[in-house]
Amino acid sequence: MESVMRQKRKRIRRLPQVLAYGLAALAMLYASYSLPRWLPGDFVTAMYASSHVTLNAEQEAELRAYYTQQKRFGRYLADFFSLQWGYSYAFLSPVVRLIREALPWTLLLLGGAHLLSMCLGFLAGVEAAWRRGSALEKAGVGSMTFLEGIPEIGTAVILFLVFSLHLGWFPAAGSETVYLERSGAQRLLDVLHHLALPFLTLFLAYLPGNFLLSRGSMVMVLKAQFIETARAKGLPPLRIRYAHAARNALLPMVTRFGLRIAFMVTGALVVETIYAYPGLGTLLFNAIAVRDLPLIQGIVLFSSLVILLVNLALEFLYGWIDPRVKHAS
Amino acid sequence: MKQGTFVAFYLEPAYEGARQIDSGGSYVIMRYAVRMMMKKAIVFSSCVLTVFFLVCRPVPAVSQVQEVRIGDSKGDWGYPNPFRHYPRGPGYVRMSWVFDTLVWKDEKGYVPALADAWNYDAGRKAFTFHLNPKALWHDLQPLTARDVAFTIEYFKKHPYRWINVDHIRRAEVLGPHKVVIHLSKPYSPFLSDIGGTMPILPAHIWSSVENPRVETDPKTFIGSGPYRFVEFSKAQGTYLYESFDDYYQGRPKSKRLIYVRSGQPMVSLIQRQVDLAVIQPDMAEPLKKKGFVVIRDERGWNKKLMINHRKAPFNDKRFRHALAFAVDRQEIIDKSHRGFAAPASYGLLSVNHEMYNPDVPSYPFHPEKACALLEAMGYEKGADGFYQKDGKALQVELLASSITTAGQSTADRDGEVIKKQLERVGIRVDLLSLEQATTDSRVKNWKFDLAVSGHGGISGDPRLLNEMISSRYGAGSVNSARFDADPELNRLLEAQILEMDPGRRKEIVQRIQAVYADLLPAISLYCPDSTAAYHPEKGILWYYTPGGISKGIPIPQNKMSLTPKQKD
Repeated sequence: MESVMRQKRKRIRRLPQVLAYGLAALAMLYASYSLPRWLPGDFVTAMYASSHVTLNAEQEAELRAYYTQQKRFGRYLADFFSLQWGYSYAFLSPVVRLIREALPWTLLLLGGAHLLSMCLGFLAGVEAAWRRGSALEKAGVGSMTFLEGIPEIGTAVILFLVFSLHLGWFPAAGSETVYLERSGAQRLLDVLHHLALPFLTLFLAYLPGNFLLSRGSMVMVLKAQFIETARAKGLPPLRIRYAHAARNALLPMVTRFGLRIAFMVTGALVVETIYAYPGLGTLLFNAIAVRDLPLIQGIVLFSSLVILLVNLALEFLYGWIDPRVKHAS
Repeated sequence: MKQGTFVAFYLEPAYEGARQIDSGGSYVIMRYAVRMMMKKAIVFSSCVLTVFFLVCRPVPAVSQVQEVRIGDSKGDWGYPNPFRHYPRGPGYVRMSWVFDTLVWKDEKGYVPALADAWNYDAGRKAFTFHLNPKALWHDLQPLTARDVAFTIEYFKKHPYRWINVDHIRRAEVLGPHKVVIHLSKPYSPFLSDIGGTMPILPAHIWSSVENPRVETDPKTFIGSGPYRFVEFSKAQGTYLYESFDDYYQGRPKSKRLIYVRSGQPMVSLIQRQVDLAVIQPDMAEPLKKKGFVVIRDERGWNKKLMINHRKAPFNDKRFRHALAFAVDRQEIIDKSHRGFAAPASYGLLSVNHEMYNPDVPSYPFHPEKACALLEAMGYEKGADGFYQKDGKALQVELLASSITTAGQSTADRDGEVIKKQLERVGIRVDLLSLEQATTDSRVKNWKFDLAVSGHGGISGDPRLLNEMISSRYGAGSVNSARFDADPELNRLLEAQILEMDPGRRKEIVQRIQAVYADLLPAISLYCPDSTAAYHPEKGILWYYTPGGISKGIPIPQNKMSLTPKQKD
């Protein structure tokens, strides 16, 4: 009985938090509805004004009337919940379908690079902090600080020039060799072959931050008294490192993960452009270039909702990772 | 004749052998002779059979390569049907593989496409087209004159923005393969704008399509062109076409045609991921060394300095002339384009155009003349070296952005160079580098002073002059000067559209160029070099079409490159 009551109290305590996220989602919905309209220019001008099709005044007015039909916010909300996110002016395709087609490539490239760099960066940071003062740690910190200073575009260009142009080991563009008849395994290898350079670029861009952050957190944790106690108890070093210290150094990493999700769409744009890799970033870039309002709204909305959802999930995850958070709340 | 020679060639060694064995016994000689005769008979009959098979076996007219891959930096240009491709050159070209027009252009000029022959009757103001009886739709239905008439009616109801069918009064079907198109008044760009641009639609499919812009039925991709549309991936920006083996001009040269998105065309070419791609002119030499063929376009695209001639001081012709004298076009070419461009004609049409007028007013770089013109307008130089009038500084705003040329967007420093040049003369300049859609929007709404812009088509039909000068034709274009202030120019523009005689039209067009260059509502700056490269291994000759594909698209992807040549 008491446990049921406790659960109920916990749910009631969580309610304002969930409500706050709901309000934020509503604000984002409104922002995604109204902000793209503030962009200078319009679809008809962007699409037709410098094309081979020279419109006369009458044709232009007709197109403008067709493409500038305003939707009220209430209608926009209703369409949003019924997953009718509109029809792209430029791509002549439903917005949801366009996002669905581009999303797997973004998840593969950005999600993969993000996750791997976080895992390896965290492990390397923990190990470096544990070996503080050693030559290995100094070399690690030095090289990671150097890498942190190189922007993605620099890494992308260098890798491209060396491994694609000069050595010819990796393809210059695309996510796979299209329209080839081959087995599933061959296709997988081809996709990985195309993924290698853009993935490495992003991995090298994300790794140093994760390494330096986890090393810094770990250094602080290792100074705590409970670590001294664990050492005094004669616990194995591996257990002290990961079960006692690393778990407490994990929180900033989780927060960083949530923040970096915000770069899911825009973060890979440079890399996607250099390697002609498909993804949400390229889709958004093309949509902005032609002022394709329904598509811009759709992508902005989708990415902001993903950020909200991930951060909401992390709120719950914090308590699970570090019970002190639960007690504090 | 050939067979006789062939037999003699094989008999001679036998006589030689017989002479050698005369020295032995007669039985041996007989056996040897029989053996030799049999051998000869076998060799002879096998050779005859070989010749027979070579001569009589049905051999395809043109051998087909497995696939051709074309690289493109953007990738997505819409679905390849008339209502779903983007209104830019690459979109039209992707559609043109699937849908044929009545006539087409190859490297020499107009050639028959769906129409075998055509003629114009001035008295009736009508074009008569005789269709190729072999023409079929991709679903193997015959293509007839009814389809042509239907297409015109359909485009009247559902406008296809690439063409204007307002000049067509009606289409008359005079037989299964003969159609007469009656015009409401003479229309000189007919062959370029309608005959060579209007994709013919299958009546048996489109007659039931009510809303073509959103129609997704796969049948709406059935055309009569050399390739069938198979697949398009928006996410990847790739297209797959397959050859239409019953094409009326013969089986296409490649079994499959593939478009792939390529951020770095040169590397994609070197890695043989693509067979053809547009390249930067600097890449030409390294690619030539690697065995690629580099092709160059004629001067079909020009960069312009747009002027807001509706407001002071730009509405004064002297001020526009001063601007032209102040701009050093060669310096822009050298500093911003590493020399890979040529100064454009102030008369707008390309120097390669058959109606180009070399005797138009010109404005070679002359800062002193620019200063003199400004001073004649009442401007005085202040202590800071900049002009002012009535205590107000002469200050202009210059908009610059990366312009898309032939589907490829390239950044340049034109705005910076022009700013420096104008400031050297004494005109203070605020340079505003904006993204293209924003610049276009401001130019469109006349919220600018000067803007760097550009467009192609200057080697195509001279109707372009109307579109790029008059607001009656080019109201929707940001590249059009929309200059209607001169009645003489307006009259000439109307006259050239109505003049069906090429000689007389040329005279009018040349006069237009001269008047335009004098009034100078916009300043033509330079024509950049357009280059592409392909590997010759597949035996396909790619070329830039003189005057551009259709209405002047400067892209080297003419479908005639993959179509067997017609017999003379």
